[in-house]
Amino acid sequence: MAPQPEEAPARPTRQQAARSAAFGLLLEVEEGIEIPGIPELDAPPLASQNSQKAPTRVSLDRRELERRWSSAEHAPERVRELRNGETVLLSVELAPPAGYLLHAPGFGRILVAPGGTELICDPEPGRPEWSALLTAQALPLAATLQGFEVLHASGVVLGERATLFTGPSGAGKSSLAAALLRRGGALLSDDTVALEERDGTLIAHPGAALLQLGAAEHERLAAHERAILGPPEAFLDKQRYSPSTIAAAAPFGELFLLERSTHGPPIERIEAVDPFALLASTFNLSVRTPERLARHLDLAVALAATERIYRLRIQPGTDATQLAEIVYEQLAAPSP
Amino acid sequence: MAPTSTSEILTSRMRLPQHVLHRSFVKETVVLNLRTGKYHGLNPTAGRMLEALAEAPTTGAAVPELAREYGIEPAKVESDLIALCQSLLERGLIEMVDGAPA
Repeated sequence: MAPQPEEAPARPTRQQAARSAAFGLLLEVEEGIEIPGIPELDAPPLASQNSQKAPTRVSLDRRELERRWSSAEHAPERVRELRNGETVLLSVELAPPAGYLLHAPGFGRILVAPGGTELICDPEPGRPEWSALLTAQALPLAATLQGFEVLHASGVVLGERATLFTGPSGAGKSSLAAALLRRGGALLSDDTVALEERDGTLIAHPGAALLQLGAAEHERLAAHERAILGPPEAFLDKQRYSPSTIAAAAPFGELFLLERSTHGPPIERIEAVDPFALLASTFNLSVRTPERLARHLDLAVALAATERIYRLRIQPGTDATQLAEIVYEQLAAPSP
Repeated sequence: MAPTSTSEILTSRMRLPQHVLHRSFVKETVVLNLRTGKYHGLNPTAGRMLEALAEAPTTGAAVPELAREYGIEPAKVESDLIALCQSLLERGLIEMVDGAPA
């Protein structure tokens, strides 16, 4: 007898899904999944806050993930890998038409459908940290596939505009964002910010309401400073704070390129920004479709055209609070 | 692939293939090959030459205008333009529309 195709397990109906929003995406989250920092919406998002793109459905379903991945028409291509020495921390494989498979060994796997409209999750049992794979990797990837450009940046909203900080890992993006929250800013996102150009305006979208600080920065803060950031918890090798509120989507204000340097003024506006520095600030190196590559370049053009890009030099002995003061003074100065 | 002769370059029209985009920044032009996913940087002069090449009926026809614009001997512009074309052709960032010598 010919083998019968395995029947796909029943999929939860859309009515069971709760709505959330992050990275510009409208999320339909299957019952039973809690995404830290991305609460359920009480009401549909305002049109001005959402991009009117197709919702992204998030489900837990190991069998469905495996069924789709094994039915891919092409052998998977590894498009990204993060390592710590010999240890693979994260791999991203692409196999059309199944999509992108993110795998963090020991934490779980997530299959992201090619259009970014579906995320099928397979967490390792007993590893709640798997949610970081969802919030820090899978959702930004889905946002890229849905037409956003995601910067490797932290962001806060001060006044009505989004102020973004980009730089290599460890440059101090999160610490600076935290210091600006203590000065009254609202968190936009930590580590990844989704941008889109809408009617000629660059809009920055909030991510998860989570902020991770290294042990040294956590220890440096006084109790009252930590309290402003929300309750902390040990998370992987950092302290993760959950601010009580997160900013709404906001027009782009300015971008600060962080660098550790002993030469030059601590802050300066860049009149002729290096386009390759802008291109390199992308979070996503996995999606290489012509449409996305063109959008990546066009976002660099749009950012350069704002003429509000600054170099922020972190000099030895300067802490995040002092840096925030420098940024704050710059933002209070008249626009160029 | 055999190197393209200078006479062939001068008498041909150059154009950007459909899979190549270019965008101008203040001090640099970025050329993106959508097939390879590679970005290439051109200095402002090379960026201007690329624009002139895309507009001129032949490479040689772009020389007088560029020579006027930069106040340089046409022979020098011609040699720089040929070198740029050879470099861009090798990278697949431009293509010759008419390869036959006039």
